[in-house]
Amino acid sequence: MTTKNAVITTKGSYRNWLREIFFDWDRTQMLICFVLVGLLALAPLFIDSTYYLGIIILTTIYAFIGISWNIVAGFNGQLLIAHIIFLAIGAYTTIVLFNYFLISPWVGILIAGAVAGLCGVIVAFITLRYGLKVDYFALFTIALMVALRTLFLKWDYVGGAVGMWFRLTEPSFDKMIFANKPPYLYIGLGMVTVGLVIQYRIYRSKMGKYFLAIREDDDAASALGVNTSLYKMLAVVIGAAMAGVGGGFYVMYVTFIEPPQVFNLGLNVEIVMAGPIIGGLGSLAGPVVGALLNKPFAEIMRGILTEGRPGSSLIVYGSFLILTIMFMPRGVTGVLHTIYRKLINRYEIEEQGDS
Amino acid sequence: MSPEIFFQIIVNGLFTGGIYSLVAVGLTLIYGVMIIVNFAHGEFLMLGIYVAFWAFTLFGVDPYLVIPVALLLVFGLGVMIQRGLVQRVLDAHPLNQIILLVGVSTLLMGLAQFFFSADPKSIHVSYETEVLTAFGLRFSIPRLIAFFASMLISGLLYLFLQYTRTGRAIRAVSQSRDAARLMGINVNYIYYLTFGIGAGITAVAGVLLAPNHTMIPTMGQGYSVIAFVVVVLGTMGNFIGAFLGGLIIGVVEAFAGFYLGGDVKIIASMMIFILILLFRPAGLFGRKRP
Repeated sequence: MTTKNAVITTKGSYRNWLREIFFDWDRTQMLICFVLVGLLALAPLFIDSTYYLGIIILTTIYAFIGISWNIVAGFNGQLLIAHIIFLAIGAYTTIVLFNYFLISPWVGILIAGAVAGLCGVIVAFITLRYGLKVDYFALFTIALMVALRTLFLKWDYVGGAVGMWFRLTEPSFDKMIFANKPPYLYIGLGMVTVGLVIQYRIYRSKMGKYFLAIREDDDAASALGVNTSLYKMLAVVIGAAMAGVGGGFYVMYVTFIEPPQVFNLGLNVEIVMAGPIIGGLGSLAGPVVGALLNKPFAEIMRGILTEGRPGSSLIVYGSFLILTIMFMPRGVTGVLHTIYRKLINRYEIEEQGDS
Repeated sequence: MSPEIFFQIIVNGLFTGGIYSLVAVGLTLIYGVMIIVNFAHGEFLMLGIYVAFWAFTLFGVDPYLVIPVALLLVFGLGVMIQRGLVQRVLDAHPLNQIILLVGVSTLLMGLAQFFFSADPKSIHVSYETEVLTAFGLRFSIPRLIAFFASMLISGLLYLFLQYTRTGRAIRAVSQSRDAARLMGINVNYIYYLTFGIGAGITAVAGVLLAPNHTMIPTMGQGYSVIAFVVVVLGTMGNFIGAFLGGLIIGVVEAFAGFYLGGDVKIIASMMIFILILLFRPAGLFGRKRP
């Protein structure tokens, strides 16, 4: 891309600026994401219904968690199937800190990220120490989830099988409790924005290139001098910490948590996997585009088409996953990329014709 | 602990383990032939138990008479899933395979919740609580039948794989896909058949559970996880390993349930699983690391 920019410099600076964005697929993806985030930020102006605003807030949470999984599974290619354990750990940390130690959720969420990241270190250390390969790593995370569910069910300090509610008090900013929905939406959108920036910085950095190299061929990357263990661990830790932060905000929004709800493969598919996969695993725009497509659609299916019959959202997520793998393995972003390349090629040919 | 209690726990463990064996044998067969971890495996068991439920509720048919029906229905479903979906990702990245099967699992679970409702259901047959007492031990009749039926079906499947032409073809494909194709074996046909058999016998395990087991659409997940444990314990793709592994896990869970309480017993199998994954990923019967 740089060589192309160097060749065409005679146009005005404004054209150059546009060129910098549109001739770079990564930046175009980021632009798409920010436009979508901006549109969602306008939603409270047009939507009064708390039900629809609630769906949009959950969509932002799904997008953020999706970004965290995209870094581990999409960039680094690690099959961390039960990523939801980190969300659950973050959620429990936040609620325990708030209920028992009166620590503001603003701080609690960050501590939750640190705790989840630490758990990520432990998980990564164990699995890397014993060199678990793809399938086995996936099974390991699922086993861990089942074990943790049983553990949390028996752990009275965190409410055991009853679960934990927020000690709801007067709405106040420092307790992250608001009387209406828009503040939650803006926090969610702020998190998605930060998540997108983190994801972009990682993708563009040397570390991101190492992640991709490890995904494509572990042994080859290792032979070229990449410290694969270190970077695999880093990917897991970053993903886990972000999921922990997301989990903290998730529990602030839903105000209730119990083990079967969060240590659950169904919710895991819904909240972690569906977004990035449908949007395009390993792409920059995938998690946001995917979350925006599947969460509202699943809600429409559940609320309007089937009047709240159980299972309808699972049907949506399941068939979306199957259809994506069958017909567009690179997700919606992959399709967009193909269209984008055609447009760019046509534009370049026209430009050459002009000059 | 008195000897009676000790042997009673072993008997109970073996009865549970028999079902685990049957489920795990299906999973290991699919893995051995196609090198694909069937994340939707427990859902076939769930479908089997619901076939028994509807046959009993609508027509009053005894669960054990439904076994061939469930076998054929889920066999057909398995063949369709293999033919329409799994076949196309056999050479894809493992991530895509796993996502596809997680999708199938989610879809089947969602359909079951949608059509059968998410409420727990159970059927009540006349022999539900009947008990046979022998040697001072108590044998629940439905579980006794389930155990021996599992043994019988696993045994028949083993004989089928060892001594029939088709069974030999399945084993040949599991050893080398390309060599089998060169020998004139229709590999795709073997794939359909294997996935169908694996799914079908798992559904039979579900039917065998029906007389004294509460059913919910998400019950398959628990059995999937148990089947993963058993299959890894007994070496992925090893028939005998899966069979023995199921019995071992059943007995271990029974003892864990006795000492720790019913809800916590799953911790025991998860600990075994994690230890096996870490220290002997090739399983009890494997020679080298996979």
